[in-house]
Amino acid sequence: MPRSTHHRSRTLAMGALLTSVALAAAGCSSGSKPGPGNSPGNSSDSANVNATGTPTKGGTLKVLGNSDVDHLDTASAYYATSYTVERAYARQLFTYPASTDPNKVNEVVPDLATDLPTTANGGLSADGLTYTIHLRQGAMWNTTPARAVTAQDEVLGMKRLCNPTPNAVGALSYYAGVIAGFADYCNAFAKVKPDIADMKAYITGHDISGVQAVDASTVKFTLVKPASDFLNILAMPFSSPAPVEYLNYMPDDATFRQHTISDGPYQITAYTAGQSVKLDRNPAWAKASDPVRDAYVDHIDVTEGPDEAAVQQQIQAGTADMEWDTTVPTASIPALKATKDARLGIYTAGISNPFLVFNFQSPSNGSALSKPAVRQALEYAVDKVAIGQIYGGPSLNTPLDQTIPPGSLGYQKMDPYATPGSKGDPAKCKSMLAAAGYPNGLVLKDLVRNAGKHPAVAQSIQTDMKACGVTTQIVPVPQGDYYGKYLSVPSLAKSGGWDISEPGWIPDWFGNNGRANIEPLFDGRGYAPGSTDWGDVNDTQVNALIDKALGAPDESTAAGFWAQADQRLMAIAAIVPFEAQSTAVFRSDRVHNAIFEPFAQNYDVTEIWLSPNS
Amino acid sequence: MSADETVAASLTETATGSTAAPAVIPAGAIEGRSPWQLAWFILRKDRAAMISLGFIVFIALVAITAPLLAHWIGYGPTDQDRTNGITVDGLPVAPNSQHLFGTDNLGRDILVRTIYGTQVSLLVGVASTLLAVAMGVLVGLAAGYFGSVVDSVLSRAMDVVLSFPFLLFAIALVSIYGSGLGISVFVIAFFTWAAVGRIVRGQTLSIREKDYIEAARSLGAGDMRIMFVDVLPNVLAPVIVYTTLLIPIAIVFESTLSFLGLGVVPPTPTWGNMLSDSLDFYQVAWWFPLFPGLALLLTTLAFNLLGDGVRDALDPRAGRLSQD
Repeated sequence: MPRSTHHRSRTLAMGALLTSVALAAAGCSSGSKPGPGNSPGNSSDSANVNATGTPTKGGTLKVLGNSDVDHLDTASAYYATSYTVERAYARQLFTYPASTDPNKVNEVVPDLATDLPTTANGGLSADGLTYTIHLRQGAMWNTTPARAVTAQDEVLGMKRLCNPTPNAVGALSYYAGVIAGFADYCNAFAKVKPDIADMKAYITGHDISGVQAVDASTVKFTLVKPASDFLNILAMPFSSPAPVEYLNYMPDDATFRQHTISDGPYQITAYTAGQSVKLDRNPAWAKASDPVRDAYVDHIDVTEGPDEAAVQQQIQAGTADMEWDTTVPTASIPALKATKDARLGIYTAGISNPFLVFNFQSPSNGSALSKPAVRQALEYAVDKVAIGQIYGGPSLNTPLDQTIPPGSLGYQKMDPYATPGSKGDPAKCKSMLAAAGYPNGLVLKDLVRNAGKHPAVAQSIQTDMKACGVTTQIVPVPQGDYYGKYLSVPSLAKSGGWDISEPGWIPDWFGNNGRANIEPLFDGRGYAPGSTDWGDVNDTQVNALIDKALGAPDESTAAGFWAQADQRLMAIAAIVPFEAQSTAVFRSDRVHNAIFEPFAQNYDVTEIWLSPNS
Repeated sequence: MSADETVAASLTETATGSTAAPAVIPAGAIEGRSPWQLAWFILRKDRAAMISLGFIVFIALVAITAPLLAHWIGYGPTDQDRTNGITVDGLPVAPNSQHLFGTDNLGRDILVRTIYGTQVSLLVGVASTLLAVAMGVLVGLAAGYFGSVVDSVLSRAMDVVLSFPFLLFAIALVSIYGSGLGISVFVIAFFTWAAVGRIVRGQTLSIREKDYIEAARSLGAGDMRIMFVDVLPNVLAPVIVYTTLLIPIAIVFESTLSFLGLGVVPPTPTWGNMLSDSLDFYQVAWWFPLFPGLALLLTTLAFNLLGDGVRDALDPRAGRLSQD
């Protein structure tokens, strides 16, 4: 999980993506249900969806952006952009619906599966450990001749995940920690020589005890402990079935990328690394077998190269239809809003990016940051509105005062360190710091990525901290090295190489996502190189709550535990949250039915239709 | 390079002549002028060079008095005016009576930051150039004077340095040692000294064959004395010309590094990191890239024009042509 999440975080940063906002948090106390509040995918204006008119088939959807996918192989693809295009060529047992209803868009629905497994329909055993899933008839691979997608393909998809190449799954812990026998299978696979013949022999000769094909259309998963989010895990594109032909390639190498096989409505007909991805209709796909995708356009052309500003200009001019990996430049948003441009869509992203982490282990200032009283004082220092302005101001950002952002399970709005207008309270910070034994302030090293908006954030924090008597020294590091060579290196943290930093995090899914949010960020028991619990938060109470939440029999029980973990994390001031962000995206005039998919942070390419004769 | 060496060769002839002639001229009706006085005389008539010199003196004064100017303007270089210096949506504010050059994306006064940027640019420009010239002169002198193996080794070393891709190397170095003022100076000096070294070596090669060097040697002068007392003064003219041309190059290098986030650490303002900050905003805030960009342009232009003037002044043939 750590590695992968970096990928996604990095993607975000690279495209300067989530410039954002949070229209959300207002009005989201959902009273009875401690649910996801205002879910990601919510938009302030429906004009952007442009669903009016009769859906028309045909045309070429032109997608324009800056950089390439990370992978095309479903076993390893982890960028949000990869998800955008996987939606067109790779199906999963379960997925998220294309919906403008924020209460539905993050709820798992059947895709290749016939229905959601429950104890009532016999799909889920009473102990919550066995899932029996039936595959839909009529889903076909675009092989020659076309062949049905089977339970054996799903098993193969799972068996390819932890292949011993760099192109293995980035989020192994979701599978190894949950499915019986998965860890053993992977440990042995790791020792296999990474060539085609040896890997093929291992995969065909070994089984994961918890993943069994009962017959051609029934697959059975056995878990090591109940997981109320297991269907969310199966809805990740990693969990896609794989055709047997994939065993004849090295995972996701250049040859593989020229021979992807599709069970979705589109197939990749041309791929040039770093330049373009072209998709045409998949003749083997039939709408009758797919409850999720409509596939209106005939072709999808992804072109890569131009930067954020150039992409925006082209979409405004109508020479491109939608963004790929960039978002609307924050500087352009005020003008677009002023003219009430219907093509601008601002969608609650459910992301708290960035936020401030404390290095609990730092020996600096007499190990000041290990003391809750010091961290609590610093909670009052930050002007969250000023941070929001760096990311485009209040139309894209809402001050966030907790570890769980709106849209994630367990969100219950709170503000334990309230300051006037969320603009910080330097006097209170100063007095609390003095009371904590630091009347002369602190000197803190702030580890900062040297690109994008990160230096601006660090300078804003520096100004805030100065008002509280705390001096921060900016330590710039290259963007690409930030996580791997600095933030996730325990020896550097222990030696006081940094005291505070402002990393980002995008949960791998929304809704029931504590496993993709609270656990990786705050469970200190697994703290080691590569950990994403960067500050080494390791609180007994939080750890116990994480165990309870992950083992909860159902979502609402889990929600209660996550909410408690959130409260505890804020009580010990584990991080300083800044803002809940939204994503600003843009479509061309001719795009209709632009439905934002929070999972990919972009429009669903299979749902868009284009104005006739455009 | 070859053009430079040609000019340099002709310069040396003059300088050599002066060394051979008596240094002191008796006072009389006709006032004698040293070559340096002659050069100044020519330079003074070069209007572009004199305006440039004036501008350079001006920005040097600005750099020195930056804190006073900032105090007078009312904002420090890192003060964020979150009330009037930034819009609700986080956009910079256009020039107005409070912020004459407008503000940047954090609400900081661009006038004050441009003024402070002068400090870094001049400091890095001058310091790295002096360092580069010192290294270049030492290595060039040694290579040219000793010849043979020493020359081969040092010349190849210069070739190696000149063949390095500057930015790639700078990025690697900064990611190992971290960015900062000192490393910027070192990186820039490291990539510019070899050019000076080559010029000095070429000059030294021809000078060491002159009769007066032979004379010095036969009088018992040691290598060090010959190199620094007899040879060095005669290669100074091209070195001075090259120095004035190197300073703007160094300033642009520094801006490049800062632009890429590899230079001086924020929040210290430099023209390069100001331009970098403005990238996301140039379409809505023209003043943001304009003023640091203009400062960079005018400063490098001034140094280049002055450099041209100095070259003309120190080149006897150029001087004669202008008098024709």
